[in-house]
Amino acid sequence: MAKAIPDFKDKLSRIEGAGRLTACYQCSACVAECPAAQQCGDFNPRLIVLAALLGVGELLVEKDSVIWQCTTCYKCYERCPQGTHPIEVITACKNLAAAIGNAPEEITALHDTVAGNATLIMPSTAIEKRRGDLGLGPVPAPAEDLERLLE
Amino acid sequence: MSASSPEYTLFLGCMIPLRHPQIELSARRSLGALGMVLSDSDGFSCCPEPWNVKGASLDDWLVLAARNLAVAERSGRDLLVLCNGCYSTLTEAGHLMSNGGEAAERVRGKLEALGLSYSGTRRTRHVVQALCDLGTDAVSASVTRPLSGLKVAVHHGCHLLRPHEILQVDDPFDPVLLEGLVEALGAEAVRYEGYTDCCGKATRDQDSSLRIASNKLAAMKSAGADCVVVVCPACFEQMDLGQVEIKRRLGEEHRLPVLHYCQLLALAQGGQPDSLGLGRHRVDVKPALQKMQG
Repeated sequence: MAKAIPDFKDKLSRIEGAGRLTACYQCSACVAECPAAQQCGDFNPRLIVLAALLGVGELLVEKDSVIWQCTTCYKCYERCPQGTHPIEVITACKNLAAAIGNAPEEITALHDTVAGNATLIMPSTAIEKRRGDLGLGPVPAPAEDLERLLE
Repeated sequence: MSASSPEYTLFLGCMIPLRHPQIELSARRSLGALGMVLSDSDGFSCCPEPWNVKGASLDDWLVLAARNLAVAERSGRDLLVLCNGCYSTLTEAGHLMSNGGEAAERVRGKLEALGLSYSGTRRTRHVVQALCDLGTDAVSASVTRPLSGLKVAVHHGCHLLRPHEILQVDDPFDPVLLEGLVEALGAEAVRYEGYTDCCGKATRDQDSSLRIASNKLAAMKSAGADCVVVVCPACFEQMDLGQVEIKRRLGEEHRLPVLHYCQLLALAQGGQPDSLGLGRHRVDVKPALQKMQG
């Protein structure tokens, strides 16, 4: 059985957007139109919020947690009558998982690519050739020195 | 150009210039034909992308987005984006910075340390908004080859519509603007079941992600669509390349061509499919093109 983490709810609530967690009265308005709930067996935004409320954080921030199935479609944000916005609770859970090294490797890699190179997709000679063939100029130069912003 | 030509700084993001440059080409041609003046700018970073980077660190996501907005403000022009991810990130980040929570305060301090500031004086405009600002009559007037007979399933993409209180583009469950822009080209927009559903791109489990897209494509076909129109390179990738994966992994075949709205606009303005690079699309667009000419 998953253990409760005493300060989980407080830590989560301090992340931007997740502060209305305790307003949730478990009505399930977030579930009906949730594409991940329809397609991914264990994904249920109401239960994710409930686990957060109960402080059962281990379930949410473990490696390969179900939270990473969220499509970020924001239907739950629109449908939530309490302003809890389950998507924002889920994003906050992702942040806590990432902070302890439990984000999926491919997602950490994408974050690090952007942090280190200012772009999600690295330029290549192949793409420069394709751009040239289309009559497009070179891609504008990306930002430099993002390190100080990301300390 | 006349004095009233709308001028924007073009924020291309990553996926369009570095993976789908044919979309950039159509945008530059078609928007230029409408009199929009698009200026390029060095020094932007990834917007950053609003589900993985934001999922890894909301603070990092916000500081990079706010930095992009601060750089954009120096140009004195609004930003124009061709991607829902860029739109939602830059718009939501602007909203957070203007409404000042703790995260915004931390970001403000970091920007100031680099001599940058965000004041909220410039807007981020999605190409759908910029075209609606011009008006559907102006869009229609640029058409030299009306797309009559073509049935189009419009896919807005989630990050254009929701959360509506922040993004403020169109009704989050009954949007009409993109349909209006499609009909301005002489085509017919067809409604289908699950009209505002997600493309599924961000779901981590690949089969579930493809299932979400496949269901949507099937609904579009059932409604008689000849092609899909998107306004986001992530939705484009999921629905175009995704059809190859859907066939391979789920055994379902849709053969429904996918175009960015700017590509449909460029075609209606007389652009030739080959010179617009449409041969790069994984689902053959020719059947839809024949329908246009038919």
